[in-house]
Amino acid sequence: MSDAATLTIDGATATITLNRPDARNAMSADLLEGVAAALDTLERDGEDVTVVTLIGAGRAFCAGMDLKSVLNDPPSSEVLLSTLAEMTLRLRALPAVTIASVNGAAIGGGCGLAMVCDIVLSHADAKLGFPEVDLGACPAVVAPWLVRRIGAGRARRVLLEGGVMSGERAHDLGLVDALAVDREGLAALTNETVQRIAVGGPQALRATKALLNEIDGSLDEAMMRKAAAISAEVFMGDEAQSRIRARFADA
Amino acid sequence: MTAFVRTTIEAGVAVVALDRPDVRNALTPDMLEAVREAPSVAERDGARCVLLRGAGPAFCAGFDLTLCQDDDNAVGVLLTGLSHAIAALRDGPLPVVLCAHGAAIAGGAALLGGADIVVADASAKIGYPVLRLGISPAVSAPFLRLGVGDGACRTRLIDTKIHDAVAAERIGLVHELTPNAEAAQAKATEIARSLASKPPSAIAATKRWLNELDQAAGDVRARALEASLSLPGGAEERERLIAMWNAGR
Repeated sequence: MSDAATLTIDGATATITLNRPDARNAMSADLLEGVAAALDTLERDGEDVTVVTLIGAGRAFCAGMDLKSVLNDPPSSEVLLSTLAEMTLRLRALPAVTIASVNGAAIGGGCGLAMVCDIVLSHADAKLGFPEVDLGACPAVVAPWLVRRIGAGRARRVLLEGGVMSGERAHDLGLVDALAVDREGLAALTNETVQRIAVGGPQALRATKALLNEIDGSLDEAMMRKAAAISAEVFMGDEAQSRIRARFADA
Repeated sequence: MTAFVRTTIEAGVAVVALDRPDVRNALTPDMLEAVREAPSVAERDGARCVLLRGAGPAFCAGFDLTLCQDDDNAVGVLLTGLSHAIAALRDGPLPVVLCAHGAAIAGGAALLGGADIVVADASAKIGYPVLRLGISPAVSAPFLRLGVGDGACRTRLIDTKIHDAVAAERIGLVHELTPNAEAAQAKATEIARSLASKPPSAIAATKRWLNELDQAAGDVRARALEASLSLPGGAEERERLIAMWNAGR
């Protein structure tokens, strides 16, 4: 099992930690494998878990897809994107309430992962956003989740404009539900929120989440397969490849 | 073609200006046809973004209802043209930025539905007061509902009150507020130029996918136009429209 993501369970609460701090927790095949293993465990043995917190180790939440790992092997991006698409569905389908504690940068697919969660917490200085179009890529996998979270109108603006925004702006636009002033404050806010939710009746929480998933049609597998195919196709195109190469040449 | 819509290309942006400032850019069928054609013309001419704006003190006051005087079917023609114009802005591959400075009323507000990003000055007046005239705003509903959600959409279309852009920004109908009209034009230009500078295939693919997600529950646009057209329009009603229009000016 990969330790690029770890799971700890403590009674009714669990934490999935994205754990590649040196790479700002960028989504490599390893990290996705680690999250998948955590989801396996929760699906198998997590019947007593009421709240799952998703957080990044170190200073970032998740810097997005590990572009370096796919730079010399573009077809592997297709695997990465379909793995991510599938993972968003599994995370959404977890019976437990999911909380993203966005402790630092949450970029592209990393921000998308937060958008899948039931509740998103962050702090004023965190950086969130979807700069995919700036790189010539298409944020198709994250789009359905952002649309559900902030509405189709605002999502259109955020995704077409690209770039990143402060935690404060993300809170104004509805990407983030509650905002702490800083990183330390976020730890307290997260803890407080987890404890408050864990008090709720487990059956009632599950029934409520299941209904919300049903109402917004968020477990649509065909839609996510198509999203992954669109993202991969654009990613492998000349426009994206030349921009991504140029970016790494600069760095 | 009409002289009341001017298009110029600047820095990759097709600037499409409604240009009938003496009547606050009141819409004629020809103007709506020009707006409908604008995205494909812009793409053909090599632009990478469309900026829709209005000349003079306001973006657009809605339909030119004086046309009803000589034509029984004027409102129907205008509604059909409006529906097609909104759809063309939305369906085209280029992103659309709209500057709703001053006022966007009735058909003018409906045009916001076709835009990807809307900029307005804080005191701009935005609203859909057409039920007052006996016209159904149904043609706006599919776009407005996606933009602001079901609750705000119902309130905005059914209650004929006109709000300022601050309230419109709060519900997500306007995306960027500026202190005055001049700043709105500048901000809209800045956003349009920024979009025009981004990789075009990525922007087109992203817009296409967002459009597809919008219609995941089915395309109700044709049905919406039908609903707006289904109201009877007699001579008496036309007189009322013209009287109200004149009173409002």
